[in-house]
Amino acid sequence: MSGSNGIAIGSVLVLDKKKRKVQPKKIKSDTILSHLKRYAKSKEKFLNELDDLTENLDNKTASILETQKHIASDIEIEKRVNTSIEVDQYSVDFAIYKVFNEFIERLKESGSELFQQRIIDIENIRDRLIDLSCEDEQKLEIEKGAILIVKEISPTDLVTFYEKGVKALVMDKGGVTSHAAIIAQSLNLPCIVSAKEAVNTASSSKHAILDATNGELILDPEKQTLDKFKKEIRRLQKETKTKDILKKPSFTKDGIEFHLRANIEFTQELNLAKEFGAEGIGLLRTEALLYGGITKKSEAEQDKFYEEILSQTEGPVVIRLFDVGGDKLNFHTPDEDNPFLGWRGIRMLLDEEEMFRGQLRSILKVAGKYPGQVKILVPMISMVEEIRLVKEKIAQLKSDLVNEKLTVDDSIPLGIMIEVPSAALLADHLAKEVDFFSIGTNDLTQYTLAVDRGNEQICTLYQQNHPSVLKLIKMTYKAAKENKIEISVCGELAGDEIGAACLLGMGITDLSMSPSHLPKVKELLINRSFEDLSRFSKAVLSCSTTAEIKHLYNNWD
Amino acid sequence: MIKKKVTILNSSGLHARPSAALVKLASKYKSDFYIHMYGYRVNGKSILGVMTLAAEQGAELVFEFDGPDEKEASKNILELVENKFGMLDE
Repeated sequence: MSGSNGIAIGSVLVLDKKKRKVQPKKIKSDTILSHLKRYAKSKEKFLNELDDLTENLDNKTASILETQKHIASDIEIEKRVNTSIEVDQYSVDFAIYKVFNEFIERLKESGSELFQQRIIDIENIRDRLIDLSCEDEQKLEIEKGAILIVKEISPTDLVTFYEKGVKALVMDKGGVTSHAAIIAQSLNLPCIVSAKEAVNTASSSKHAILDATNGELILDPEKQTLDKFKKEIRRLQKETKTKDILKKPSFTKDGIEFHLRANIEFTQELNLAKEFGAEGIGLLRTEALLYGGITKKSEAEQDKFYEEILSQTEGPVVIRLFDVGGDKLNFHTPDEDNPFLGWRGIRMLLDEEEMFRGQLRSILKVAGKYPGQVKILVPMISMVEEIRLVKEKIAQLKSDLVNEKLTVDDSIPLGIMIEVPSAALLADHLAKEVDFFSIGTNDLTQYTLAVDRGNEQICTLYQQNHPSVLKLIKMTYKAAKENKIEISVCGELAGDEIGAACLLGMGITDLSMSPSHLPKVKELLINRSFEDLSRFSKAVLSCSTTAEIKHLYNNWD
Repeated sequence: MIKKKVTILNSSGLHARPSAALVKLASKYKSDFYIHMYGYRVNGKSILGVMTLAAEQGAELVFEFDGPDEKEASKNILELVENKFGMLDE
């Protein structure tokens, strides 16, 4: 039965405490005082032990130890132990034993379920006090990471063992709600309880795997099994680490807030985006609506897609208009010698009137139901005239919709992809036309370096961290700042550690990436100060090659 | 001397932690504090004594306070019982 989930691999430490033989021993009257002192001393030591343990523990565990303290310093016990030593002239160990047992017997007689678990605790306190009063504590060698196998154990002993390096617990007795199990949970120690005969069975074993989640103890495992569990432990550790990171708010160490969003194309990706803490969708690709060779999905189908995404997303959703052409798909494009430099993105949309209107209509209609959430992003802008034309179209469509008595989100922000070097170079002019920029680093890299990323022969030349690309980004950032418009990065550079550090260091606090990159980028950014990132970014911008930038990153302390 | 009848309201009864809370509060007062239940009489300042009562929900007890601050002790201790020992039902 699992008392606390998790897996541990370690050496076996079997603790088969032979109960001290306590016998009714009478003492001479001249030693009464020393026995009284020994009792007082043992209590004091025990309370100190508990005090030491109480630090650094959570409330529940601390309150259990608090109860133990009350039991150890119980005034009735004290009175009776002292009487037993003074009047009956029993030795200190027997006096403690006898008095505690009177209460334990009463508890057992009561037959109440309430205290059956606690009786073990009280017996442990009794035995600890006896041990301390006799001052011959057992000294135990404990290997780091050992799996402790016991019949039963007191919370105090468990915490002590934990501090000495024990990392898992197997108990012959006890229930899921026993104090030891509760404490094992709070210490994050894998633990199984009610493992009958574990102490006897394991007594000659050296190593073991404890798979507490499945309630299994594997003694002296074979290499194959061991490897399997080692792998599983690594996976769990990674999972826990990721969860911890995702729980933290997105701020640099010196308190600069940043936003990490997801790039997605399908509704099925929303779950992962949510799981990895994306603050909305920084890039919603819409080309999938065109797959299958159909020239135009019906408007109703488009509506449904946007509706599904918006209803399941908190935070902004940046919808990029169809970016077809080039590598995307062979959507009835004519044969072109250079498709990447050809009829794609906004160039095609402006020609394909019907398709363009259909998409904008659908987006505007759905956006009306989710005011303030949608942003429209136009791909492949390379000239100022293009965006002016787009704006005219949108204005026209909006008035059509109003005439049709549909709700229109009038303040819907319009932005452009900065993915062609000419757009980056003209960013100061473009910034006056739109509400935001989103830098598409994949295309920007390929156009800046004149490298087709799909061409294997030159693929090493495709370097998204290239100084020239970063310079264009910096230039775009400056234009956005000066014109007070928003700027984000949605290319793969944002999901790359070097890239993300450099972008945030420049001042771009809005990064969108494939959901699976979110945890590692967040981990990097929350562990750095903005000052630190900004220094890094400056150093990067003065590099002349990508290799230098990588070197800088690898030697960044 | 003050004597009061009380009923245990906690769903899991007077288990270890409520007992600890009771004893902790009672120990602040000079007055003697005894608890009677079905013929037993235990020292209310002794956690083991209180636990041996094994008082479950609905158990009827009589609290006995005797000493210079008995009024204050009875008021505050009874309040603690009524508030289910400041514990959420577990």
